[in-house]
Amino acid sequence: MASRGVMNMGALASRANRMRTKLQSTLEASVLEIEDVSHQHSGHAAMRESEYSGGETHFNLKIVSPKFEGQTLVKRHRMVYDLLSDELQSGLHALSINAKTPQEVAPK
Amino acid sequence: MAAINAITPKIPLSIRLTTSKSLPTLSFLSLPNTSSFTASNFLSLKHSSSIATTAKLKPRSLSIVSALKKISELDSIALSPENDDSLTSDSGVYAVYNSDGELEFIGLSRNVAASVDSHRKKVPELCSSVKVGVVDDPTKESLTQAWKSWMEEHIAATGKIPPGNETGNTTWFRPPPKKKPDLRLTPGRHVQLTVPLEQLIDRLVKENKVVAFIKGSRNAPACGFSQKVVGILESQGVDYESVDVLDEEYNNGLRETLKSYSNWPTFPQVFAKGELVGGCDILTSMYENGELADLFK
Repeated sequence: MASRGVMNMGALASRANRMRTKLQSTLEASVLEIEDVSHQHSGHAAMRESEYSGGETHFNLKIVSPKFEGQTLVKRHRMVYDLLSDELQSGLHALSINAKTPQEVAPK
Repeated sequence: MAAINAITPKIPLSIRLTTSKSLPTLSFLSLPNTSSFTASNFLSLKHSSSIATTAKLKPRSLSIVSALKKISELDSIALSPENDDSLTSDSGVYAVYNSDGELEFIGLSRNVAASVDSHRKKVPELCSSVKVGVVDDPTKESLTQAWKSWMEEHIAATGKIPPGNETGNTTWFRPPPKKKPDLRLTPGRHVQLTVPLEQLIDRLVKENKVVAFIKGSRNAPACGFSQKVVGILESQGVDYESVDVLDEEYNNGLRETLKSYSNWPTFPQVFAKGELVGGCDILTSMYENGELADLFK
């Protein structure tokens, strides 16, 4: 159990960090939260395949970016997916994306 | 038009099953001679509806149902092809009897003649005669109340629920509509496709108003996100088609092809009028802010 936890911590650092770098630089995000929720999906058929067994397959993202201004939800999600396409091809399985503009999160 | 499902109103458990003041059980039911039907039917129908009307004028009969005759007070109308037109197409309650004069089923309907006719087509052997109580000024409540009062009368008299009204008996109703099956894109993985899969997807999403590509079947989604999307679509009453992207036999290769077709890397994917609406997050947020209802109008 302990050793697995350590391994996950290491893996988290890598993919989550790569994601953060990619999203931050292009989207100029004022908020960028990345949460690894892979453990919630460990029973998933795709997750039992050995190559993904190290976790880092499911993430929740919360991004606030001025680049989302005037974009539909589909377009905002596409922007994120495009930035993360390498990750999606290498075992990133699902993203839950909350994409807002600074205006949308501003207190009224 | 079939009978309104009369199962829904629950018969109160408090109904006394033992009856000292028991009505002469069904003994009034002497089936009229076939040759003399038409006239007597006509009369009895006129009778029941006119009673209902006159009763309303009496000051004490304020409720509709109090104007409704008891089953025991009504004459039965024999059912045969010759007296097809004699039943009322008004709203009301009706009791169907078999050839032994046993009550099979009590129903309620917005069109008694049509309902009885559909029963007779489905189970002619159980439909020998019928009693009809017209409910004037019918509402869902007054019809249900009328139906209840007949059920209570019958149960009080016989101690039994009519067989056709027992839970699980589907003889008298259309069974509830089945959920749609998931669509399959191909006839099977071993059948050579004559059209590229991409084109099949394209056709499918353009020919159907709403299509959800999900993991697992719509009846048993295999992933929480797909389940959520199915739940949202169902709750909106959307008439949608579903495709199981995990079905390797009939949708082989669909996951990869769909990802490139829609330029969207994850599932579920929901399309409306040929356009990608989004996945679970987008559906959820559109559902919450009310945009979804507009989209599926």
